Amino acid sequence: MSNKKKYSMLASTAAVAFILAACGNGDTADTDDNGVDENDATEVDEDEDADDNGESADGPQPLEFETRVENEGEAIDGGTMSIGYVSDSPFTGIFSWELYTGNPDATVMQYTMGSLVDVDENFQYTDTGAATIEVDRDTNIVTITLQDDILWHDGEQLTAGDIAFTHEIIGHPDYPGVRYSADMQRIIGMEAYKAGEADSIEGITIVDDLTLEIEYESVGVQMLQAGGGVWAYAAPRHYLEDIPVAELESAPEIRENPIGFGPFKVDNIVPGESVSYSRFEDYFRGTPNIERLELETVPTSTAVAAMQNHQFDLFLSMPTDQFENFENIPGYSILGRQENAYTYIGFKLGEWVTEGDGIDQPQNVPDPDAKMANVNLRQAMAYAIDNDAVGSRFYQGLRSRATSPIIPNFADFYNDELEGYPYNPERAQELLDEAGYEDTNGDGFRETPEGEELVINFASMAGGDVAEPIAEYYMQSWRNIGLNVQLLDGRLHEFNSFYDRVEADDPAIDIYQAAWRTGSDPTPDGLYSRYAPFNYTRWATEENDAFMDDMLSEEGFDVEWRAEVFRDWQEYFMEELPIIPTMFRNEVFPVNNRVGAYDITYGENPDTDGAGAHTWYLTDDNRATE
Amino acid sequence: MWKTIFRRLLLMIPQIIILSILIFIIADFMPGDPFTGMIDPNIDPAQLEAQREAFGLNDPLIVRYFRWAGNALQGDFGRSFNFQQPVTAVIGGRMGNTIRLSLLSTIFTYGIGLPLGIMAGRYNETVFDKGVLVYNFVSFAIPVFVLALLMVWIFGYNLNWFPSRGSVSISANTTWEIWWSRLYHLLLPSITTAILGTTSIIQFLRSEIIDAKVSDYVKTARSKGVPIQKVYTKHIFRNASLPIASGFGFTIVALFTGSIFIEQIFNFRGMGFLFLQSINTRDYSVIFVLVMFYGLMGLIGTLLSDLILMAVDPRIRID
Repeated sequence: MSNKKKYSMLASTAAVAFILAACGNGDTADTDDNGVDENDATEVDEDEDADDNGESADGPQPLEFETRVENEGEAIDGGTMSIGYVSDSPFTGIFSWELYTGNPDATVMQYTMGSLVDVDENFQYTDTGAATIEVDRDTNIVTITLQDDILWHDGEQLTAGDIAFTHEIIGHPDYPGVRYSADMQRIIGMEAYKAGEADSIEGITIVDDLTLEIEYESVGVQMLQAGGGVWAYAAPRHYLEDIPVAELESAPEIRENPIGFGPFKVDNIVPGESVSYSRFEDYFRGTPNIERLELETVPTSTAVAAMQNHQFDLFLSMPTDQFENFENIPGYSILGRQENAYTYIGFKLGEWVTEGDGIDQPQNVPDPDAKMANVNLRQAMAYAIDNDAVGSRFYQGLRSRATSPIIPNFADFYNDELEGYPYNPERAQELLDEAGYEDTNGDGFRETPEGEELVINFASMAGGDVAEPIAEYYMQSWRNIGLNVQLLDGRLHEFNSFYDRVEADDPAIDIYQAAWRTGSDPTPDGLYSRYAPFNYTRWATEENDAFMDDMLSEEGFDVEWRAEVFRDWQEYFMEELPIIPTMFRNEVFPVNNRVGAYDITYGENPDTDGAGAHTWYLTDDNRATE
Repeated sequence: MWKTIFRRLLLMIPQIIILSILIFIIADFMPGDPFTGMIDPNIDPAQLEAQREAFGLNDPLIVRYFRWAGNALQGDFGRSFNFQQPVTAVIGGRMGNTIRLSLLSTIFTYGIGLPLGIMAGRYNETVFDKGVLVYNFVSFAIPVFVLALLMVWIFGYNLNWFPSRGSVSISANTTWEIWWSRLYHLLLPSITTAILGTTSIIQFLRSEIIDAKVSDYVKTARSKGVPIQKVYTKHIFRNASLPIASGFGFTIVALFTGSIFIEQIFNFRGMGFLFLQSINTRDYSVIFVLVMFYGLMGLIGTLLSDLILMAVDPRIRID
């Protein structure tokens, strides 16, 4: 798996339900393509949810999924497992952690390149992987220690030199990629190496074949987190060192015959379409059961049809907006888990300033007179929208109301006591009355406390069939509490132009709906600190600065203490509400019933049946059709 | 004639230059750039900025244009942001697929269109002719993406006769297997293209033949005792095929440009697919080269059509 640091924007905030039958009075789509009557969302919940807590509530509830499936039957010898990777952007085919850029490449790489470290359910490094990572606070040295029986696919041993090599690639003056991050730059001697002034990186020491020490200018607690700063990858030095770094990304050693130390070797690549892999007998966790893997890219438009035809054993990135079309296809079990992502509505509160009086570095400067600066107004807008209903009716239960900017997947850091903003229009009205937002000219809409007309411009992205109905629903809800909210330019906006304008702090935008993928490091400084360019609301307060400092401080090595800071921060954040976190999202994985075991639990030990690719097995020569 | 060809070729130079300027200006209006919302989590914002700088995206339009034009004259069309490869390599990798698909489509198109057109013209007003006309109207009316989706759904998924996506199977190993697999993947998209591409061929041929049947030279030939079969093959067909020949230049050119719709729906990695993908991801360097290429092909197509027309019809001269 790739270590996901930082954040990425999601192309569509509202990627989405295909048919809006679930909306309205709970009537449902009558049939799916098999002609099987569908249950309504509530019943599906009861059918599929093993740990239903029996809680009763109005209307359909969020679906819950199993993260593990086991199918009965003897394992067959070897076999070929086919994976359908549903994506409209084909993989580029760069098999290199240093050089790839898109998620499709990370997906095709994961079975073959191998990962050095395992992570637990909080995405923190554990000691069960190919290597262990230790962070020494006193010396600022990170020590990576390898197991001694790890081989590359060509039979050479994986050594500490290979980990140093991956740093040398990224630090090289000719390196064309984007991984030369601020964390990389904190390695002692890295900048001199990048500038071409040094032949080696001073801070990186190969102690012996299995031990590597990396000295940083400073270390932080987030370095214990996958993607938190340590570049935990390896590249085969013996295989790649003769290729000039500038030419690496076009080299056949990367694009056609890549080697790694993962459970499967690449056999054949059809660029952009498919990859076949064969098992690597000397994989350090043990020889894989399955002899051959085939991965093919499937366009989203035909994913459901491919599933109905039982063309694959496993589907990755199955489009959740078509859930009701595939939830009952015979022959498959559907696993699900929460994505590391959330949807939100942001309030524009200031602007990004790069220079000026008292500005020593580029930062977010909130404007106390901004239209959305009143916290009551923001809270009222949150109470006015019923995200429970949006989740169950627009998204068929695959999304649920978000209660925090930290997703529940970070179990230790997520504050599960927060209630968030459940639907409460009365409370919303009160809050607005309190703050002095009243309708003074009788037009049915509230004016500002100063008595000026209040028109709020809402920017939302096009994409998926429910983007528009959801935006309309939100605006209608806000109108119900007397707020005049208009769609920016009267329409939804295409992804690129949307982010162009949000990023540039277009004064025409007051609120906007977007989504973040959070990666595997819960530390929110990249999204909400004063100095984060991705803090698109331009919100900054001194209290928040203090929280950010605490989260990254030395004391944070005390995990309990750090978790407490996270919980307090979430409470503070949800009170201040620079954004309304609106939706937590689920991703689903259809698995064919001939697959012996498959497990998508975050942090599961890869040696557990079904978790690591080497443990997968098949119970039949043909895919199950029922 | 050579003088004319030479003059036409010379005239292409300013046309291409104007085209390139237009693309640059229009591309500049597109919101976003290749790095907007790059769906990748490992990237530090400063690195994105560094990349923008390195690719020269922050320079003024004029600077970017002259740099691009200067490099292009030396055969360097830049690198694709998306594929992290030289543009020529990216396009080169797709062209084979597109040429194979177009070639087979063309063969099917003429294979269906010529006999139907000739027969319909020869036996006009019969049931057969009416059937052909109905087919013609229907195929003219159906949008390509509707038929393509139907074909995938029926023959790809329901009947499982053909593969429904891709250009070659990953499990094909030997050369023979690979070529067979390629052909197998080509059949459905090319038949779909052919079904929709026959309209003008049938229509022109049919009406030309009907006209020719009553024309003087046919009467003369018949009265001289030339057998009817020979009149059709030797006299009528040659004259009736003139309008078709005039479009043949474009047909040849279309071999290289491919079809955006067909390639997209059949998930077939050719030039059309690449074009759409590049636009969506703002892969400017690929877009520029593809538009220039399409433009150039259009110009060459016109020239070729004129030349072909001249070759088949001795009455036509271009000077």
